[in-house]
Amino acid sequence: VIRRLLHGTSDSLTARTALASVALVVVVGAVAVGLLSAVFAARTAAHKEAEAQALTSATLEVQGLVVDLENSLRGLALSGDEHFVTPWKQARKELDTKLPAFVTLASKVPGERARALDVQDQVHSYITDYAAPLVRSARTEPEAVSTPVATTVGNDWVNAIKSLFAAMLTREQRSANEAAAHANMDSRRAIAVAIAGLVALAAIVALFGVYVARSVARPVRQVADEAQRLAAGEEVTQLRERGSGEVADLTRAFNSMARQLESRQHELEEQNRQLRDSEHAKSELVSIVSHELRTPLTSMLGFTSLLARGDQDEEAQARYLEIIASQGQRLATLLDDFLSVQQLEEGRLELRTEWLNLVPLLRQQAELYSAHSDGHEIVVELDGGTLPVRGDEGRLAQVIGNLLSNAIKYSPDGGRVTLSGLHDGARVLVRVRDEGIGIPDEEQEKLFTKFFRGDAAARGIAGSGLGLAFARAVVEAHEGTIGFTSTEGSGTTFEVDLPAAGAAQTPAQAKTERSSA
Amino acid sequence: MRGFAVVLAAGIVAAVVAGGSDRLFAGTGPATVRITAEQEKILPGVDAGPKGQSPGDTEIVRETLYNHHITSRALGHAEFVCTYTIGRSRLCEGTFFLPKGKLMVEGPLRYRQFYELAVVGGTELYDNARGSLTMTRLSEDPVRTLALFRLVG
Repeated sequence: VIRRLLHGTSDSLTARTALASVALVVVVGAVAVGLLSAVFAARTAAHKEAEAQALTSATLEVQGLVVDLENSLRGLALSGDEHFVTPWKQARKELDTKLPAFVTLASKVPGERARALDVQDQVHSYITDYAAPLVRSARTEPEAVSTPVATTVGNDWVNAIKSLFAAMLTREQRSANEAAAHANMDSRRAIAVAIAGLVALAAIVALFGVYVARSVARPVRQVADEAQRLAAGEEVTQLRERGSGEVADLTRAFNSMARQLESRQHELEEQNRQLRDSEHAKSELVSIVSHELRTPLTSMLGFTSLLARGDQDEEAQARYLEIIASQGQRLATLLDDFLSVQQLEEGRLELRTEWLNLVPLLRQQAELYSAHSDGHEIVVELDGGTLPVRGDEGRLAQVIGNLLSNAIKYSPDGGRVTLSGLHDGARVLVRVRDEGIGIPDEEQEKLFTKFFRGDAAARGIAGSGLGLAFARAVVEAHEGTIGFTSTEGSGTTFEVDLPAAGAAQTPAQAKTERSSA
Repeated sequence: MRGFAVVLAAGIVAAVVAGGSDRLFAGTGPATVRITAEQEKILPGVDAGPKGQSPGDTEIVRETLYNHHITSRALGHAEFVCTYTIGRSRLCEGTFFLPKGKLMVEGPLRYRQFYELAVVGGTELYDNARGSLTMTRLSEDPVRTLALFRLVG
């Protein structure tokens, strides 16, 4: 019952506390009622005992007065001495007050009133029918009252009355004994009820204490301990949700708080890691920029010095100028990449969106990068139809160019680079597949991170680490996705997934759209 | 005979008035009954000897029987015939006439204030009754006597 009380219908600690309080009140009330009942019973029994004893005293008193009457009458009868009349009168006078009091007392004891009235009647009869005539006759006929008949009659009266007294006293004594026994029993019952009540109260209080210790104090202690650990920066574990109501709420709230703190800590750690990576990337950028800028600048400065001497023939001069122009273009491209990265970081990458068929763009990029490397074969695979998208032709060309450039750079041994396009319903898929060195698993996750170049620098592969980050930003700006599959040592395939556009628009529509973009 | 007022009280009224009293006397069971006898008159009897009181003289007494605890009406009457023997001593025979029978008593009497007679028999309801009758003078004017029957069988 207590278990059901404490773990019953309501999980609320308040409700359980209220239930326990109600149980305490009920038990206290029951104990109080039991105690009061027992005390009242004991008092009643004691009162009965007192009444019985009072009645016994009154009976003995009346009996004594009757004996006084008898003795004085006997003295008068035997001696004829008038002095015996005085105690007789005194006893009779006292009886006039004692007998009614005796009857009144007897009336309080069930069944004794009739007997008391009988005694009273007998005593009155004894006085009026025997004693008074005897006293009177003692004065007129002294010899008559001294006859055996007279004394025998008196004895018979008194004996009859005494037998009534004896019977009453016996009953009164029995009644007093019974009342005393009842009082004793009720007292013991009161003590037993008090002890039982105290034990019950102690049990309830102890159970409630255990309940509070187990369901409240212990969970709260655990929460406090874990909070201290949390404050100390230690890793905390999720607390088991036990206890009831508010305690369980506290545990849940703590777990939620711990989870949030842990999540924020992870976020902070991630941000720190990103910051560190960014710092590292920027350091690399400085290194890269230094290297990338220095190399063409050194070349340009060297050939410019050679040209300044003016001792070269025209063919050499033309070749030097071509090299200087090429290195200048390289510097311009590098600066464009930096500018694009800047725009990416500031979120202001501008797209000039228009309806566009990617087929010519792909062919153009393939031809452009075929010229960059003699050791690579760039193969274009198209399904013969159009590859309609809505996008910025220049930016998409940069994306495809970056992918082709990477395919060439990361295939140092040459090989085939396949550029394919596919119009698949609502999507346009562009894939660039190489047979190069592939991407190590541990680098794949960071591949689209700005300035991330993995071990490319160590391999002597040029680049800024911005190409793929730029490509993803551009593709996502076109509501597309970019991904890759790669096996280290076997090559890599990049796939650009763009939403397909509808039919071709008129130049006017395209112009309007371009201006709005 | 005038100076002699034998007050005999007898009578069992209970048999007349209450069923409980009937049972007391039915079949000669033991019982104690009180009634009050009020002297009605004393009739002169035989003056056998010299004039005045002498042995052999008789007197006749008639009394009305009451039990004031039960009713104020008379329950019956009693008649006694007493014969003087020696001095003031008399030998009395009496009959209590009750509604359901008669009780006969007999015995010596010396002082009218206190005397005792034997219950020697009865009729009807009191057939074969035995016991004693104690008479106690209650008052002189009127002459009232308490009759206390103790029947044993």
